[in-house]
Amino acid sequence: MTTTEVRGTTTDDAGASDVVIPFDPYELQDTVAGDVRDPFPIMAELLAASPVHVGQIDLGAGASESFGPIEPVTVMGFDECVQVLRDNETFSSQIYEGVIGMVMGRTILQMDEPEHRVQRALVSPAFRSKMLERWEEGLVRTVVNELIDGFADRGHADLVKEVTFNFPVQVIARILGLPRRDYPKFQRWAVEITSVATNWDRGVAASEALRDYFAGVLAERRAEPDDDLITELVNVEVDGQRLTDEEIYSFLRLLLPAGVETTYRASGSLLYGLLTHPTQLDAVRADRSLIPQAFEEAIRWEPPVTVILRRATRDTELAGVTIPEGADVALLLGAANHDARKYENPDEFDMFRAVRQHVGFGFGVHVCLGMHLARMETRVAVDTLLDRLPDLRLDPEPGQDLHIRGLAFRSPVALPVSFQVG
Amino acid sequence: MVAHGIEIRVDTEVCMGSGNCLFWAPGSFDLDDDGRSYVLDPEVTDEERLVVVAGGCPVGAISLWRDGRRLDTGAP
Ligand code: HEM
Ligand code: SF4
Repeated sequence: MTTTEVRGTTTDDAGASDVVIPFDPYELQDTVAGDVRDPFPIMAELLAASPVHVGQIDLGAGASESFGPIEPVTVMGFDECVQVLRDNETFSSQIYEGVIGMVMGRTILQMDEPEHRVQRALVSPAFRSKMLERWEEGLVRTVVNELIDGFADRGHADLVKEVTFNFPVQVIARILGLPRRDYPKFQRWAVEITSVATNWDRGVAASEALRDYFAGVLAERRAEPDDDLITELVNVEVDGQRLTDEEIYSFLRLLLPAGVETTYRASGSLLYGLLTHPTQLDAVRADRSLIPQAFEEAIRWEPPVTVILRRATRDTELAGVTIPEGADVALLLGAANHDARKYENPDEFDMFRAVRQHVGFGFGVHVCLGMHLARMETRVAVDTLLDRLPDLRLDPEPGQDLHIRGLAFRSPVALPVSFQVG
Repeated sequence: MVAHGIEIRVDTEVCMGSGNCLFWAPGSFDLDDDGRSYVLDPEVTDEERLVVVAGGCPVGAISLWRDGRRLDTGAP
């Protein structure tokens, strides 16, 4: 188990406290996702009855209590999700101003047009695939190689604890240009801010700590520009517009739940899909150019983010169902990605399936900004694992129950593997 | 590869620069400096892939045409 030692409690590493708290970030995050094993059969049943539902639904974790006079709406059909996400005037993202806005600050996630378009244009260039290429070999592959070095001579490992949980946060830390000594506290804040739903005070404290921390880094980059994302955000200018410092802090904080948690879960589910389907694993091993389509299938099959939200700005109708102004609309991306009207054998992991579109990265103007980074990171991680660990295969303990778990966020509980040494 | 004769149209007013099209079909699309997609060579990408690309455009900015008729790309 990788246990990082963190001095002090949260915010300050300058020596306020001499107590050494053993900190296992992996344990900390484990409570976040919701303990549901397989929500897909219930979703399929509900979807078959109607692609759009009014009122609470129960996917196996109990229906949450209803608050407010307007019944919430749940959209499960693929076409219906696409319709909602493409109609950003009727379905507003302001709904995120609540919890997420309070913790991260005001970000593109909660903005509507035209403000969203302007802000997104400022942060987009850094996330284009061409800009990311420069980080592929020296940065991402190095991170993954270092993690593999930790167990390569052992012959077995848990790829969740030893690779997928760790590489996305380290990649972000390096892309931001943070000093290496700050990685442990950065990882801790990342987990704490992401799990704010289970521990509000801790999440808010982490958010404040990150803001102060980024303020320091920003000042340093202004004085001494470097080849990193923070320098880019400080310098970016589109049509005379620039990002304010506060906008940069908020955006950087958003990258933790949006970019770290998601990639950790997505890469785990991809490896799970491949390791439990040896023919597809062999195909990928032999031809690495298949990794991208395997990854897209993993995100269709087990989208790490299973639900996103909108709020109706006017009375409207969807698939014959009336949606009143003010209604909260939950889009079940997992259900949409398993819509039997669109996909054959939707519950199967099949990287060679004919229909490859999915809504795992969202859709419409808010479609995931970091998808090219997630794709590149995961491709490099899988490629490096296959290079370094010959004969990689699943190797659970007797009786160990391997499966993908979670409701709001899903990923495999563990990935115990064996491989040839040397 | 047999030529498929497909014409790709991108509505640049609608395109929001996701970069999805060039991820799936790098020889057929690129982004300009403003982050808007433009068409390179349709023929270097096979038809099946082009349909995935057009249907997968998050804002529906891509349409495919052959002999003056719009092809079905599987997205609403
Ligand atoms: C496989 C990994 C990932 C998945 C499945 C994923 C999923 C999503 C989804 C579903 C949305 C849409 C939210 C909505 O419309 O309400 C989204 C938006 C976003 N994602 Fe990702 N994401 C991933 C990786 C990343 C990474 C690596 C980053 C950045 C480092 C990132 C940054 C963002 C941002 C900033 C937004 C907001 C975009 C906007 O509102 O315009 N994501 N992501
Ligand atoms: S996929 Fe659509 S929105 Fe994205 S760059 Fe291409 S044309 Fe533009």
